[in-house]
This record gives sequence, structure tokens and C-alpha cells, in this order.
Amino acid sequence: MTETTLTPSDAMAERVLKTVRQSGHLDVAPKRQAAAKAALASIPYPTTRDERWKYTRTGRLQKLNFHRANDQPAPAPEVLPGFDAHRLTFVNGRLQSGNALTRQGMFIGPLSSALAQCPEKVQTLESDHFAEDEWFAALQASAPQDGGAIFLDDHVTVERPILLHHHMTGGTTVAQPQHLVILGQESKAQVILWTTCDHDATGLVNAAITAEIGERAHLTMEIVQDEQGEAHHIGHHQFRQAASSHLEVRTATARSHWLRNDLHIQQNGQHGDSTFHGCYLPNGRQFVDHHTRIDHAKPDGKSDELYKGLASGSATAVFNGKIMVHPDAQRIEAYQSNANLILGERATVNSKPELEIYADDVRCSHGCTTGQFDDEALFYLRSRGLTETAARNLLVRAFLAEVLDGFRPEIQKHLESVYAERLGWN
Amino acid sequence: MLKIDNLHARIGDTEILKGLSLNLDAGEVHAIMGPNGSGKSTLASILAGREEYEVTEGSITFDGVDLLELDATERAVAGIFLAFQYPVEIPGVSNINFLRSAINSIREQRKEEPISGKDFLAKVKTCGQLVELDGKLRDRSVNEGFSGGEKKRNEIFQMAMLEPKLAVLDETDSGLDIDALRIVSEGVNAMRDANRSFLVITHYQRLLDHIVPDHVHVLANGQIVHSGGKELALELEEKGYDWIVEPQAGKA
Repeated sequence: MTETTLTPSDAMAERVLKTVRQSGHLDVAPKRQAAAKAALASIPYPTTRDERWKYTRTGRLQKLNFHRANDQPAPAPEVLPGFDAHRLTFVNGRLQSGNALTRQGMFIGPLSSALAQCPEKVQTLESDHFAEDEWFAALQASAPQDGGAIFLDDHVTVERPILLHHHMTGGTTVAQPQHLVILGQESKAQVILWTTCDHDATGLVNAAITAEIGERAHLTMEIVQDEQGEAHHIGHHQFRQAASSHLEVRTATARSHWLRNDLHIQQNGQHGDSTFHGCYLPNGRQFVDHHTRIDHAKPDGKSDELYKGLASGSATAVFNGKIMVHPDAQRIEAYQSNANLILGERATVNSKPELEIYADDVRCSHGCTTGQFDDEALFYLRSRGLTETAARNLLVRAFLAEVLDGFRPEIQKHLESVYAERLGWN
Repeated sequence: MLKIDNLHARIGDTEILKGLSLNLDAGEVHAIMGPNGSGKSTLASILAGREEYEVTEGSITFDGVDLLELDATERAVAGIFLAFQYPVEIPGVSNINFLRSAINSIREQRKEEPISGKDFLAKVKTCGQLVELDGKLRDRSVNEGFSGGEKKRNEIFQMAMLEPKLAVLDETDSGLDIDALRIVSEGVNAMRDANRSFLVITHYQRLLDHIVPDHVHVLANGQIVHSGGKELALELEEKGYDWIVEPQAGKA
């Protein structure tokens, strides 16, 4: 068969998989991999005619002419210099630096090492069926690459933050990192997941996080998407929570050019607690799309969702938040809020809450606001002697405060400087 | 200190000020009274540099500088302060942090050293006492959830912190009960000195019982139509504006 008979999406999948296999992928979870390959062949490529992809123009991805990146890439730029953390750095889906830490009841290292050292844990990926319904997730699961693996046994607490950094190099390459976090009962971890790209990157990062949080376990994950260049990023962020577990996911989209995140949280046990906050600030012609979904499958769960963003220039921001309360999941408290500021005359924000509630004793609320910059507040601050730049930065910082303040101070500082630079007021 | 000459200004197609002239010397308190819609708040806004208004004719000089050439920030640096009629609520911006940024921004633009933490806190304490603004309010977000009286006290607190050369009080008495009126007025009186001037814009004479002006002007139909001493305020309270405004309007 020649390539001319392939549909554009089949051709794209072939190019991606070829490139990824050349640079090295991992044969983890073979059943999932087989299911993903089958899905890739059967489910249609998402277009704006699909409700879930209504505002996400994926056609551009089919035009990318992927090529294999240099086997000996330059070191990834350092993130959070001087910050004490267990660091693992990946470039183009391959481990670049960082060691596996193996102790009694604990593994922190690259997934490639985990595959050899604790294959039974890696098997957990077999229970992930997300890829069966999502084209890009299926693409990722067909040839996953290296990423962070964090496995804690019951009652293990790791105080030192774990910093997983993925970097993609310039040109049009593709990376499909797979991160896996498995927390046993009453264990606790803090993870920072940081993604960067080179200034001249135009390729695709199609990345997955899969996390299993055991009973009464506690996971904090801070995701910083700070990609330079004109790269594309699709994130599949999956969290499954057992009873009385606690999850905090904070996602900051800092510099990304074209980005789609699918965050999916499943509360599969009673008394789950999930906090998921996010912020974004696209400018120029950038595109940022946060799709979130929480499934309250069992009673007495809580969720607190807050996303805030600013769109300037001709940028587009999308927020779609789905809350699903399953039958018999009583006494759920689910809160969702999305607030946006439009700073550019040609900027667009699409915000959509989706609540599906099949239980009768629940407390659910959602709110969505989209507005302009408050000129009166700006004038008030300037009349007190602040420069226009300082006043604008103060107002943007204040607008994002509820989200930014949830990040650790080192990350807040970084985000503030990126946002100030992006707004172009300095 | 402040010299306004034949000022004409409009917003959109509506001409609001139609040849307003006024002189304020250092250390003086001038009151501007007048009926609704006469242009009082427009004058305050223009002095502070609000950009929606277009000055079509006339001039404003402040300490010899052409004020109309300065933007809102530069006017604050030059020493002009506007106490807002409707102070803005700014969630997420702490009152105290914002004031410190403002003071240091002004100092930086004046090529002065930033204020030390110790001096700043001492000043916050003194100025807070002046208008009985307790610590909780000072630490909250700017004006967020403040009552009407608290907002106005916060304006005077900010004024005391920034030590302007010219303070424009835009209907600072509106929405104040008798106690808040007394507190605000005492705060203003404590700030009076030979180098600082005040332009007090008000609808009612009662504020001027507390802040006794050197001069009272009546603004009507975009012009100063009558000026007098402090006793003019009482006369206006008694007789209203008609006896001044009507004949002027008739002449026009």
C-alpha cells in the first residue's frame, strides 16, 4: 500500500509513530497498547464538528512534517534553578538526566527503569481505558515514551518535591512522554511537572499523566506548561482517586503556543477530595484549551474547580468543565468557577460548564464570567502614582491571585515574570 | 499654585466645562459648590487626569507646569491627589501593599530613595489613627467590602500617606453619617498646612462646617458664576442656587 491511499489522519499517525519508534518508545502495558492501536484505526480524527473539539482546530497538526530529533540533544534548559527537588529530566521522550531512587516501599525514577525494576506496578496502566475513546490519547498510548514513574507503598511520605521536566527540542519533532504516579494507602507526594520547548520548536508534545491515588493518600501536582516557540501540546491528565484520598492539581499554562489539556478526575471511592485550579494567558495568535471532567462516582465527595485566564491580542482561550455526579453518589459538594478577562479586541474566550447530575442530594454550583479590564480600577491605581505598567500587572496578579497563590512561591515568582513579559507592559 | 484659565472640556459630544477659571494659592482651601450636573465632578476628574474627558480650550498650570501635558501617574508624582467620590473596590490587591508600591513608585519617579519598612509602618500607624482606620481594614483588599464611610476614610488615609500638595476632594461627604463626617473632616484639617491646598467639591454646606474654606465658588453650567468667603456657603444653604444661577443663565 502506498502512502497516497492513506487519509490525512492515518498518514499523520503513521508519521508520528514512525518518528517516535525511531527515537525510542517503551513497550509498557501491551494490552492497552493493542487497544489503543485498534482505537486509532476505528475512531475518527477529532474535528470542530465534534462537540468536545468544537473550538480546537486540529487540522494544523496533520500538516506537520515530523522528523526524528537529534539523538544527542543539547541539555534541557534548567527550570527552577537552585530549587531543591528530586529531578528527572526528559528530552524528546527520553531520559536525559536524573537517577532512580529505590528504597523500601518507594520507587522514583524514569518509567524505563521502572519497567525492569517493578513491572507489576507498571501493569497498572493496563486498567487505563481513556485511550480507547480519544484519538490523540490512542496515538500516545500506541507508542508511549519515557517519563516519570513515582510509586509509593502504603504509609510512605516523600517530603522532597519531585520535579519531572520534559523538554522538546527545536524543529518539527514529536514526543509522547508517559508519566505514571501510583500512591499506596495513606502515602503522600508532591510532584511538579514542567514542560518546555526550544524557541524554534514547531512540533507536537502528546503527553500523558496517569495517576492512581490510594485510600487516604495525598497527591499534590503542580503542572507548569512553559513552552517556547510554536510547538503544539496535547495533555492527557488522568487521576483516579480511591476513598478518602486527597488530590490537588494546579495547572499553569505559561507560554504555550497551541495547547489542549484534557484533565479527567475520577473519584472512585467515598469521601474523595479534589481541588483543580488552573490559569492561562494566551496572547498573539495563541490557543489554549482546558477541558476538564470530574466523575463523582461515590458519595460524600468534594470538588473545587477554579480556572482563570486572560486572552489578549488575537488569542483564543477555551474552558469546558464537566461535572458528572453518578446515580447514588449522594451528598456531593462540587464547585466550579471560570473567570476570564478579554484584553484584546480580537481575542476570544469560549467558556462552557457542563453539569450532569444523576443523584438527588447534592450541592453543586458553577459560575462563569468573562469581562473586560477594569479601567476604573486602572485609573484609581494610576491616580495614586503607580505607572500604567505597574497598575496593570497588579490588577492581573490580583485577578489570578486565587489560582497563583496555590502554587509554591518559587513557581508563583516564575509565572508572574512570564505573565508580565507576555503582557508586554514592561 | 493651581491656575485654571478659561477651561473648556467635553465628554463625547457634550460640552461640560465652558470657560472655567480658578486660582488656588498654597495653603488655601477652596470649596466648589453647585447644582447637580454643573460640572463639579468633571473638574475633579480632569484635574486628576481622567482620559475620557477632552479639553478643547483653556489651560491648567500647577506649580508652573502645564498639567494637561501630564498623565494620571505623572500628576500624582507632581503632588496631586483625588479623593474619589466612588472609591473603586479592587479585590486581590492589598490596601497596604498597594500604598507602599504607590509611595515607592512616586519616590522613584522623583528620584528619591524608597521608603524603609520601618518608616512606612510608622506612617501607616499615624495616618491610620488620623481617620480611625483600624488594622483590619488597612490589611484588606482595596475598598473590598468596605462600607461607604470606610471607603471615604480610606481615601483620606491614602491622602495622608501620600502627602500631596493639592488634594481634590470629590463629594467626600456623600454617603457619610455624622460621625464619619467628623472623622473625615478632622483628618483633612490635620493635613492643612501652609504648603498644601485643598479643592473641596461638595453639594452640601454641612461639610464646610467642619472643613472651613477660605473661598467658596459656585459652579453652574460649566463656569464659576459666583465667588465669596466661607459665609457664602451658609447663604447657599439658605437660599439655594437659583438667585445666582438664574440671572447668569438669563444673560447667556
